[in-house]
Amino acid sequence: MVPATLTLPKVGPVRLSRRSFLNFLSALCLGLSLLLFGQSAWIFAKAQLAQVLLERAFSQSVVTGEPVKAWRWADTWPVARLQIPRIAASAIVLHGGSGEALAFGPALLAETSRIGEPGTAVISAHRDTHFAFLKDVVVGDRITITRDDGLVFTYRVTGTSIVDWNKSGIDRHASGFNLVLATCYPFDAITRGSERYLVHAELVK
Amino acid sequence: MNTYLRARSFKSRLDFIVAIFGLAFVLALTIFGQARAGEMKLALVTPNDVKAGSLLLKSTEGGKYLEAPRLATDFNVTVSGPTARTIVTQRFENPADGFVEGVYVFPLPENSAVDTLKIIAGNRVIVGEVKERQEAKVIYETAKASGQAAALLEQERPNLFTNSVANIGPHETVIVQIEYQETVKQSSGTFSLRLPLVVAPRYMPAPIVQSVDFSNDGYGVTVNDPVPDRERISPPVLDPRKHAPVNPTTISVTLNAGFALGEVKSLYHPIKTDPVSQVISLVDANVPADKDFALEWQAAGTAPQAGLFTETVNGKNYLLGFVTPPVAATNEVFKPRETIFVIDNSGSMEGPSMVQAKDSLIYGLNQMKPGDHFNVIRFDDTMDQLFADAVPADKENIDRAKAFVSRLNANGGTEMIPPMRAALMDSHASDTSHLRQVVFLTDGAIGNEEQLFATISKGLGRSRVFMVGIGSAPNSYLMTRAAELGRGTFTHIGEAAEVTARMQDLFSKIGSPVVTELKAELVGNSAKITPDMLPDLYRGEPVLLMAAARDLSGSLKISGNIGAQPWEVTLPIAKAAKGDGISKLWARRRIADFEVASTLGTLTYDAANKAILAMALDHQIVSSQTSLVAVDKTPKRPPGEKLTRADIPLNLPAGWDYDSVFGEEMPAVEQRDARAEFLQLAMLQKPAAVPGQQQVMLPQTATPAEFMMLIAGILLVLSLAFRLALPRQSPRQM
Repeated sequence: MVPATLTLPKVGPVRLSRRSFLNFLSALCLGLSLLLFGQSAWIFAKAQLAQVLLERAFSQSVVTGEPVKAWRWADTWPVARLQIPRIAASAIVLHGGSGEALAFGPALLAETSRIGEPGTAVISAHRDTHFAFLKDVVVGDRITITRDDGLVFTYRVTGTSIVDWNKSGIDRHASGFNLVLATCYPFDAITRGSERYLVHAELVK
Repeated sequence: MNTYLRARSFKSRLDFIVAIFGLAFVLALTIFGQARAGEMKLALVTPNDVKAGSLLLKSTEGGKYLEAPRLATDFNVTVSGPTARTIVTQRFENPADGFVEGVYVFPLPENSAVDTLKIIAGNRVIVGEVKERQEAKVIYETAKASGQAAALLEQERPNLFTNSVANIGPHETVIVQIEYQETVKQSSGTFSLRLPLVVAPRYMPAPIVQSVDFSNDGYGVTVNDPVPDRERISPPVLDPRKHAPVNPTTISVTLNAGFALGEVKSLYHPIKTDPVSQVISLVDANVPADKDFALEWQAAGTAPQAGLFTETVNGKNYLLGFVTPPVAATNEVFKPRETIFVIDNSGSMEGPSMVQAKDSLIYGLNQMKPGDHFNVIRFDDTMDQLFADAVPADKENIDRAKAFVSRLNANGGTEMIPPMRAALMDSHASDTSHLRQVVFLTDGAIGNEEQLFATISKGLGRSRVFMVGIGSAPNSYLMTRAAELGRGTFTHIGEAAEVTARMQDLFSKIGSPVVTELKAELVGNSAKITPDMLPDLYRGEPVLLMAAARDLSGSLKISGNIGAQPWEVTLPIAKAAKGDGISKLWARRRIADFEVASTLGTLTYDAANKAILAMALDHQIVSSQTSLVAVDKTPKRPPGEKLTRADIPLNLPAGWDYDSVFGEEMPAVEQRDARAEFLQLAMLQKPAAVPGQQQVMLPQTATPAEFMMLIAGILLVLSLAFRLALPRQSPRQM
């Protein structure tokens, strides 16, 4: 024990500087980790919180018959409620497909048909938030959509497909009353890609 | 001892490697992340390297940009007595290496009957046809998809049109000609013609202000977006501080007034007259399209008091007549007035417009006489009413009003409905001892015109609405129609120097209507006279009438009351002179009648549209229900070659302040860049699965959340590893 105590002053300075270096690295990594964690948590929180506010705004707009913005500075407004009873999925659909809108909820793409009207309506949402449930949807599932005027439409899932974002093959003027739910594919990918997962459905009533 | 030390140093070297590796990993991820973030931002930001006067559109190919087509416009106007015909030549030049679709939003006079569209390609001329709006759109889209040159002219508002030109080849120039007919305006012996050269950016009320129209039985109809076509009427606008003016314009006017000309002047552009041909043109060869061109002329002697013109088309006769009633100069008794001044202090009024509006209002206040009552309302996206109700025009109240007006600053949006409603709110509606007048000063830069018209027609009562259009490019359609429905007049003030003269003219007019109970009939003929709703005539204003019949004979009788005295004038149709384009103008006026009837509720919206469609097809003119479309049969874009949509950028009207209009939001060019890209993406890809149709492009639908979460996890593990790598402290120190 005694010799060890005697050598301590010699190696002391070396050990001390390595200690602080490692301490510093550890703290740095922890800090960055918390920052990134916070950011991603914020994305999820925003997605969840917005749906609560949107749910309220949507109910209000069904009652009053006028579009109601969920918060004063929103640049979009809820247009429909989408539900898939079998898997107990529900989401408020927004107008337009801007990145802004997609952060808060699924969006009915501008320039596609309105729900319940001839042609194809396309609703798009993030695969990791609002449309995470899309991977559980199977052929035959019923999708009910409540429009902002209170009318309810039921669609039946007819198939799924995987396409490139710019070769969707979706014809907005297709005959019949079609609905396409779209999200990014693969579901568990970590980075963004060009593939999209589509759920095709037809109006039942 | 030795072994222990060696072990420690080895361990430290290992730690060191792990640390370096970890740092490098973090660094790499950070750089990767930044690069990705940069990529995401790029789509929204206009690059700094934009050349003056050009708009760049990002293409799908990384880092490559596309320059929007350049445009030059020529106006060739021929005035023939009471009518004028204008040939507008638009030259679209594509500076890019790919095929482009040029989309240009441009204004025309609000009473113009557009009847011709031509594409001039080399030495061939392709003449367009008037088709039902949807049908025309389909023809155009089909031609566009199959690579043919095509042009589509659509009406967005009676004074606002969109010209789309498909498949302009690389470095190619396509020339499109548009022709229209209009009536020459006259007031107080002055004849005038106005060429609007630019569309002012308009304020679009957000859908949140939508209202429910309740009928008496409690059921309501929701009014959807007040500006359902907002995207169609908001072209990109260039910030004049960053871009040189674009869209050079040349103008020439041949003036066959039908009488000896007195003074001829252009209000805002210097002009010259060719000594031989007498053609009037601009002194500056090319002026940027950033303010209206206005030409005024007078007769050498006394101005003609009446005129009658006919035209025969396909065996049918069309009649145009005008009469300026005399002014009973003697024993005029002025009724006291109740005048409500409304002033627009929204952002679009910033600069010279605001000064002109304030000066005009203060001039108006100075005209108030003892016994008159008045009130002042100011509005942007909020409004203030100076007094709770109209107050006597005594010195104290007038001074308060002047102080209120001089403090106004231009800012904010333009919510025009509430102030109009407030101005028409009449606390003694049955009081006939006062003339109730609303003097409304605005540039009319709004997109929800229809709502304003409905407000006026519902709430007018005994009030009369006098529109005062301010600035270099006011919305004449809004002004004219609002004045028509409000049974008042439209005065235009384009420069500060005009304020006194124009306001003087207005106030002498609104002292009292010269002719009331105006009636017009064709004696010895059953033809119907248009307009349906004859106006009250004010000093110096003529009444302009039109009619159509198989056989026009007999005479046109116009009667009414001047003060308390009956007045009547008869124009024998046999004496009428030949006129040009009257049939088109008659059809255009009938269409305006249908629109007015729809606003007033005497005709349902659908019935009005049906009537407009039939009239427009019959007379081959563009309307809300019909468009002109021209298609070159020979395809020129090879299959597989891309086509990119490009919106032609517009200048900001002269005297406007960019920041006051766009300041609170993202600058318009940037905003549009993103949208243009979206549109462009929607147009770019040739669909394989559904030929002839556009595929739906799917947006990016993955958040970076999971990715960030993963890195956060890795970092956390690293952090722990470093902590574990810390050398143990000796027990003694604990």
